[in-house]
Amino acid sequence: MRRVLTVLTAVLGLVLATAPLAQAYEPVNVVHTERVQIGPYALDVGFSAWPVRAMQSLDWTFAPVGGIADKSGTLSMTAPDQGKEARQRPMARHPRKLEVWGLDIKSLDSPGNWTIRFRVDGPQGPGEGALTSLNVLDQPGPPMALSWSLSTLPLVGLVAFLAVAWRRTRLVAQ
Amino acid sequence: MTAGIAPGITRERAAPRTATGAATASRGLPTALALLTGSLLTLVGLTWDVQWHTDVGPDTFFTLPHLFLYAGSAVAGLASLGAVLAATAGQRAGRDPDPVVGGRPIAVLRVFSAPIGYLVAGCGAASFLLYGLWDQWWHGLYGFDAVIDSPPHIGLLLSVMATLVGTVMVFAAAYRQTWGRVGTVTSLGILAAFSTIVVLGFSNVGGPVDAVSAALSWLMVVLVVTAVGFARKPGLAVALAVALGIIQAVGWWFSPWATHVYADAVGLPIRDYIRGVPVMPALMPMGLVVVAALVEVFAVAARRGNRWLPAVAGALAGGLVAGFQGVQNAWVYGYAVPPVGDLAPTVVAGVVLGLLAGFVGWRFGRMLRLVDPGKA
Repeated sequence: MRRVLTVLTAVLGLVLATAPLAQAYEPVNVVHTERVQIGPYALDVGFSAWPVRAMQSLDWTFAPVGGIADKSGTLSMTAPDQGKEARQRPMARHPRKLEVWGLDIKSLDSPGNWTIRFRVDGPQGPGEGALTSLNVLDQPGPPMALSWSLSTLPLVGLVAFLAVAWRRTRLVAQ
Repeated sequence: MTAGIAPGITRERAAPRTATGAATASRGLPTALALLTGSLLTLVGLTWDVQWHTDVGPDTFFTLPHLFLYAGSAVAGLASLGAVLAATAGQRAGRDPDPVVGGRPIAVLRVFSAPIGYLVAGCGAASFLLYGLWDQWWHGLYGFDAVIDSPPHIGLLLSVMATLVGTVMVFAAAYRQTWGRVGTVTSLGILAAFSTIVVLGFSNVGGPVDAVSAALSWLMVVLVVTAVGFARKPGLAVALAVALGIIQAVGWWFSPWATHVYADAVGLPIRDYIRGVPVMPALMPMGLVVVAALVEVFAVAARRGNRWLPAVAGALAGGLVAGFQGVQNAWVYGYAVPPVGDLAPTVVAGVVLGLLAGFVGWRFGRMLRLVDPGKA
């Protein structure tokens, strides 16, 4: 028993000790940029994957020329079939690239032309602009209906188990 | 897979068996505790992981919260496997099965004699492993999208649900023992807490009904009414709600704390503009104790034979849980409470789903009694 406990403690210790090493968060690797004019401010939109595909997550960076220190802003990401502008959210620093604003591991749900609208406020006053017609390609991988069918199999199994148990116990369980 | 009473075990031989002596009373406790530990590890890992993605963000396959999640299912799976092998060995040695250890034995593949609680828990753990592999493939294709409602994530969560249902069955089988009663309350509380995240699979359902709150009310009512249908005396449903409240209170403190400590340890910053709300604990209905007490009152009359009262109690409870969830969300996240007209469709959905949940929950409770044939 003591030997088992020793081994378990050693394994747990190793796991805890190596966990930070095992994570090795990847740096943000921008492979494509688009420049957008937001009133008086120029802003580079960076993508860690290009072209963008539906449901495929990527890092987004939003880097105004001159830096973010003296500026604030919001953005909205509006889907192709969405009539009105999506909810605005404040521009936050990218968690792994703190010198710029950004979104980490963010995907867009559907293919088509998306619009990203920016509002920036800074030393030269407020400005507004948009990256229009961001063409998002179809999602990779199997159709979602198939993926969801596979994912709900445990639920199907649980329901089937309960149904069988219900039937077998109908005389004594009531 | 074939299932039935294990070969060599007649229904008569598997039936009532009286526990005698301290050794018999505590038989099954170590394995059941291991299973419960696995369930707790999973719950801790999930509440931490959800908070991590909300407050910090970056994901890999081997974050510390993920390791808790994997360890939880691994421990639960190994405990279940051990219980099944021990029961099979006992059967082959000609010993009578003891239903206190995981419940009625079920023949699997004509080889194994699996106590039913451990069979369900083990199937969930095995399924978790398969969905884990699929999740890894999914992340390779789609990236580390930190969304809870991706298909593999829902498959993983449903697998854990199966393990947690098995855990409840294992302790319900030992309900005559003190540790069985404590474990039943604890495992029901864990199952209720975990259920709150599974319903996020309905996040993208549009329309006037808040599908997440409606689905949550269905699951909560099923669990509460199952508890009153199982127990012969009042109190189990309220105890379940108290257990959920304790989990909520501990999680309220733990998940932000662990997230911040871990972020410091790995040198990552807290996101800008976080709300600071403990995400998963905030999903747990805060008024469930009141709802459970109400259901207990109905259950007293239902135990005397009124077959419709559980459904009526379920409808009432479903409407209350669904409606209050909208108020709770507004309170927790600091926005205006929606007007009654906006809440009404969700309340109506809660009433309808609660009606059904009350009906099936009562029966589930009676079925749960049969896990231990000695108690039937």
